[in-house]
Amino acid sequence: MGANFESRYLMNKFFTKKLSLISFIFIPIIFLWHPNWLGFLGVQPYWPLFWLLPWSMINGSINGLLLGLFLGLILDSLTVNESFTQIPGLIFCGFLFGRIKLHSDILLGHFRYGLICSFGSFLCGTIYFLQILFRNFSDSNSLMLIPSVKNILAEVFLTGFFAPFICSQLLRMFKFSKRKIQ
Amino acid sequence: MLGIRRISTSRWWHRKKNWLFFAIFLFLVFVRISKGAFYKDFYYFISKPFWPGQFQKEIVLESIAQEYLIKLNLLKKDNIRLRQILSLQESFNDEHISAAVISRKTGSWWRQIILNKGSKDGVEIGNIVIGPGGLLGRVKNTSLFTSSVTLITSPDSKLGVWVDRIQINGLLVGLGDDYPSLILYSKDADIKVGDFVSSSPASTLLPPNIPIGIIQSIDETLTSKKTAKISLLAKPYVIDWVQILKVGI
Repeated sequence: MGANFESRYLMNKFFTKKLSLISFIFIPIIFLWHPNWLGFLGVQPYWPLFWLLPWSMINGSINGLLLGLFLGLILDSLTVNESFTQIPGLIFCGFLFGRIKLHSDILLGHFRYGLICSFGSFLCGTIYFLQILFRNFSDSNSLMLIPSVKNILAEVFLTGFFAPFICSQLLRMFKFSKRKIQ
Repeated sequence: MLGIRRISTSRWWHRKKNWLFFAIFLFLVFVRISKGAFYKDFYYFISKPFWPGQFQKEIVLESIAQEYLIKLNLLKKDNIRLRQILSLQESFNDEHISAAVISRKTGSWWRQIILNKGSKDGVEIGNIVIGPGGLLGRVKNTSLFTSSVTLITSPDSKLGVWVDRIQINGLLVGLGDDYPSLILYSKDADIKVGDFVSSSPASTLLPPNIPIGIIQSIDETLTSKKTAKISLLAKPYVIDWVQILKVGI
């Protein structure tokens, strides 16, 4: 009986402690899953930012930068476009998000997550687009402009729309997890 | 003088037979006015069991399918023979692997699908993936159980294609939306909306004659080349099952 209780306690402690790690594992899964019913114009929100924002806000710029790099490495390995990378955008976002302080006003905080994630998505999308432009410099620059702007804007809108819901929950979870460790 | 009432049963309206004739007459008048509709409908029901029913239809369809299959096989053999005579590139053979789409990214920048067949099943990098309608993309990398396919709508994709009507080669470039762009490096190319685009016989990446799409709109604003948007025949965002063609070019 005692042993059973102790193992359950240890398991709970482990899950609470590793909450951020467990949620981290879900990012590539959801990135691959690509649920169409959540999309707009065939475009999905930029999922990694939802995780990166609360993580960086709690753990600071350097940790944000590192995790941005890790996320970029994982997501690049899942996409077949070998010529382009998501790493610079995510590193920059991770560093930037780490500079943002938590806001005391909960409601304002919610909307702030939306705006910050929209900005981050715009940044990542633009960096990715610039890589595509640079790669196809001779061929089809003008042809790519309109679909690319459409992709960036749709992604910015969706990321900003979902961020208040997801980021605030994740932030709460990470805070809770961190408090338990201390 | 009292009116003498004639008591008789010999009046015409007392006879049932006359009423029967009258009823038949009325019925015939109805038939005449309705232009035989009643007869036709009646005939419809009584003749129904004797119609050339579903069974016969299936036999006819099966025969037609068999006829087409035989014709197709004959044409394939002819095609292979003629290609050998002319020393042209081989058209794709029958070696294919059916696979299910387990992940699909058909929006934004990353246009790829992941299939449930990998190197274990003999899938190799560079294999061609087709779906109902035509070409979807090429296998970019494989794991033991899965293979990742770059769709032809991806910004990473560039393929040689063939416009059949005017017999000209072009370059199909993915732009990151659902309509890849056909670039013809000749301003005089007489392409029209509705022209059929297939894989080029000159391509080093694809076997020839795989259907790709139809020209949807033409852009003539560029000075040195002509571009056109292509509506793909195979729709990657709805297809769940594909075929991987094992081609060695």
